[in-house]
Amino acid sequence: MQNYNVIFRSISRFLHPAVQRSSSSLQTIIMSSDGDKQPAEETSESVNASSAPSPETELTVTIGATVPTGFEHTAAEEVKEKIGVDARVSRDRGRIYFPVSTDKLFQVHRLRSVDNLFVVVKEYDQYHFKESKEETLMELQELASKLPWTNALEVWRLNRTLKKKKGHRKGGHSTRAKPDSEVCDTAEQQQQEPAQEQSGDAPDTESQPPETAAEEKLVKFRVTCNRAGDKHSFSSNEAARDFGGAVQEFFQWKADMTKFDVEVLLNIHNEEMVVGIALTEESLHRRNISHFGPTTLRSTLCYGMLRLCKLQASDIILDPMCGTGAIPLEGAIEFNSSFYVAGDNNDMAVSRTLNNICHMQKRRAEKGSSPGLPVDTVQWDLCRLPVRTGSVDVIITDMPFGKRMGSRKKNWDLYPSCLREMARVCRPGSGKAVLLTQDKKCFSKAISRMGGLWKKLHTVWVNVGGLHAGVYLLKRTAGVFGQTPEDVHESPARVYKQTDEKEDD
Amino acid sequence: MKLLTHNMLTSHVKGVTKGYPLLIKATEVKVNQLDFNPQFVSRMIPKLEWGALVQAAGDLGYRQDLPGELVVDYEQNEEFLKKVHRVLLEVEVMEGSLKCPESGREFPITKGIPNMLLNEDEA
Repeated sequence: MQNYNVIFRSISRFLHPAVQRSSSSLQTIIMSSDGDKQPAEETSESVNASSAPSPETELTVTIGATVPTGFEHTAAEEVKEKIGVDARVSRDRGRIYFPVSTDKLFQVHRLRSVDNLFVVVKEYDQYHFKESKEETLMELQELASKLPWTNALEVWRLNRTLKKKKGHRKGGHSTRAKPDSEVCDTAEQQQQEPAQEQSGDAPDTESQPPETAAEEKLVKFRVTCNRAGDKHSFSSNEAARDFGGAVQEFFQWKADMTKFDVEVLLNIHNEEMVVGIALTEESLHRRNISHFGPTTLRSTLCYGMLRLCKLQASDIILDPMCGTGAIPLEGAIEFNSSFYVAGDNNDMAVSRTLNNICHMQKRRAEKGSSPGLPVDTVQWDLCRLPVRTGSVDVIITDMPFGKRMGSRKKNWDLYPSCLREMARVCRPGSGKAVLLTQDKKCFSKAISRMGGLWKKLHTVWVNVGGLHAGVYLLKRTAGVFGQTPEDVHESPARVYKQTDEKEDD
Repeated sequence: MKLLTHNMLTSHVKGVTKGYPLLIKATEVKVNQLDFNPQFVSRMIPKLEWGALVQAAGDLGYRQDLPGELVVDYEQNEEFLKKVHRVLLEVEVMEGSLKCPESGREFPITKGIPNMLLNEDEA
């Protein structure tokens, strides 16, 4: 335990007073196992600072992000673009890791392709789990007190401040920092009592009125364990329980499964083990939608699909089966130099799409931005699109799965007709389509018969609500609709009569 | 319904060959503010049926002296681009209908959404 004081003191010298203010609470946590008085004296000087940490005191930590499986590389691209660092895709699908310095922490919240964020406490590339369950669990327990918690907890705290500034916790409860001297006084008291967290910000809004904010507040935590691999002798529950118990011992936090402040993550994938602290409470994936439908897509998945097609300014994008409008809405917000037309035949879908768009516009107006979004909604039949031939640049849609909506039999008829209609409205040569479907067999068959119109460029395998699906990136060939091999053999009367018009000339 | 969308919509009633452009009959029009992006507008213009746009704008009373034919070098003319931006993205038909120029069939527009669904016999 002596080590921790040494480490802490050396760190605190680097930390700018403003950061030290919150660090005093860190040291109370660490001091729970050690009654050493010294650190308290150091931090008592830090009382009055209030400015942001200066550059040389920045911490760099590794942030982990969970992303829709299959879209790890698109997410890494976004990280490079918005944060300027290279992200590493983990062997554990659906996770990426990248370094961030504390001054750039707020930027991680701007990422649109990530579902959840956490700060890494420690990563083990090749953790050698012991043979027996008892030994393994014992080792995990011992690990709790040896991990480098300091930086991660600092980031966790900083993140909470960011979230409060964003107005995440609305309502009358005080979010002003308590006077630092208070923090310092109680810090000295802490040495004998079980350490309690003294946050510079107000405690959870759900519990305390401002007066009691001054009282010591116990940190509540829980441990979430995800385990994958067939060689482990233990279950995720056992690991969470034992590791959690040791964490509780070490920090003297209180375990609470529902109303926790700190969520400790224990992710085990074969020999890879990562210990982290969650930075997001609710998954970010439902951010745009207020009116849900039966199959509303995660916004993070919508974003991934939109990124796949490398949209250009003034591209016209159609979602002919838009459901609640999740894809066009995400596009209109994130890739706003294009124009989106959302369409569906169903009354409820159209109505929900409209509501989601209006809701978003209202939110934007409230924040002072121009409310208008480059999106429109139309009610139409996707097999008979009332759209000019060759006028659309990109088609992005979530096709009926046959399990949650539609049926397998319906898909056999639906897929070919709608693929044809989509080919008709799509610009020959430059047009693209990004189509998500779980009915891969039906889709592949339909596409194989349309070589004259569509070419498969790339497929991303994803997981949507537990169903294994594919996102197909297609390119519209330069073939003129109505004159490609598949049309020459087919006989149904075409409303558009392109070839007839030519003959008239 | 924005006029950019109207520019793409066509009648698809069975047997109709000249279903474009749809005639707008508006009973309620709104103007919404949307951020101006000159690159978006200048790249969009070549994709449009210019005549149909000007006609529709005029029908709604928002022609703003847009020329019947495109002028040369419009890409640099910011004033022109701003007018086009307004007409393409900011003027919205909230209530009214779209009428097929050949068959006369009317497609209603409610809360800004045109309903282009056809009946069984029309498809």
